[in-house]
Amino acid sequence: MLKPVLWMHGEAMGPANPALVAHPGAPAVFVFDRELIVQAGLSLKRLGFLYECLLELPVTLRHGDVAEEVLAFARRHGADGVVTTAAVDPRFAQLRERIAAQLPVQVLEPAPFVELPEPVDLRALGAGFSSRSSCSSTALGSLSRSGCSSSG
Amino acid sequence: MRSGDSLPPGDLPRQFASRTELQASLRQLFPEAVGDLSPIRGGHQAAAAALAAIDPAAYGRSRNHLDGAVTHLSPWIRHGVLTLAEVRERVFAWLECSGQPPQAAAKLINELGWRDYWQRLWRRLGDGIWRDREPLKTGHAPEAYTAALPVDLLEARTGLACMDGFVQELHTTGWLHNHARMWLASYVVHWRRVRWQAGARWFLQHLLDGDPASNNLSWQWVASSFSSKPYLFNRDNLERFSSGRYCRVCSAATDGTCPFDASYEQLQVQLLGGPPC
Repeated sequence: MLKPVLWMHGEAMGPANPALVAHPGAPAVFVFDRELIVQAGLSLKRLGFLYECLLELPVTLRHGDVAEEVLAFARRHGADGVVTTAAVDPRFAQLRERIAAQLPVQVLEPAPFVELPEPVDLRALGAGFSSRSSCSSTALGSLSRSGCSSSG
Repeated sequence: MRSGDSLPPGDLPRQFASRTELQASLRQLFPEAVGDLSPIRGGHQAAAAALAAIDPAAYGRSRNHLDGAVTHLSPWIRHGVLTLAEVRERVFAWLECSGQPPQAAAKLINELGWRDYWQRLWRRLGDGIWRDREPLKTGHAPEAYTAALPVDLLEARTGLACMDGFVQELHTTGWLHNHARMWLASYVVHWRRVRWQAGARWFLQHLLDGDPASNNLSWQWVASSFSSKPYLFNRDNLERFSSGRYCRVCSAATDGTCPFDASYEQLQVQLLGGPPC
């Protein structure tokens, strides 16, 4: 991919976005997903928060059908592919497939919180809107302390 | 939006003289979106300021209290403005600078682990997070729960100062303390007997950190379709962790009509029809 455009989405809206870091200066686009916004009934608070995040990034803002807009943005810049960052939302995979039907798509992984051997056992359960303290996450046993020199 | 922007057709504006102007532009761009901007600003600058202010030790001691030293980082983490790895490194740097033992940051690191866990679960379950993971353990059939949120709740006029306060805060700021989320969700599902999906969708409409996985699976945990029993609370619990701020001004708290003013055993009988199995 010699001349990509970057597709930004709602799960990687910071300067550490791997696509932005890997391709500084490449044209980047974020599309407000018209269908999702209407279906989910998102409030102005949420859209405004996203908008303010985007105003700090070098990115063109669009509103409409995400796959169509990303492809149109790629054509506008004569791009030969699309680089983006991995996202968990299943909607991302659907959009990526629609884009990939017309242009190569490269998906970069963000820095992991913790490296775990696969398959990961996700049966451990506590909950609450962030957690219950009575149950510790299976992830924590393997947490790396890279870059930290404090003892213990 | 400024008329001076010379943008290609369909590109959204990036220049605004003020937040007021931004809000006015967003109203035009998204006429279907309700409400105003949150007082909480988006962007990495605001995120970095919040990250610099964290106190993991105080967080660990006080996070369950509404006035506790919670980080407020969730909106930026949810949208990847801050990654969990960045927050983790900040916590480790805090440990190094403060000279505190690692245990001082354990609660906060644990919470970051939970965020990671929910995301891993979402990757595995996909849209299955919108369906009951298990049967409810409430003794009520799924049909006993209504599909729509009550109007008095949405208009913050239940007459219960706590719940009305939470609704107002949710609608105005787009953020609620975790304990408030749990109380409000429990009230919606168990006292008002509304399907958890209606509450989950409502939270996602308003919470700046609204993440379908964390949100929906937590609603399911409250409802008991993703846990071994329903989550109930009582007045003692709410009053203690809110330092009494709602009960002091609540007429229901003084006239004997507070629906939460009971023991857990009484609530179990009243709401679920019997003692826990």
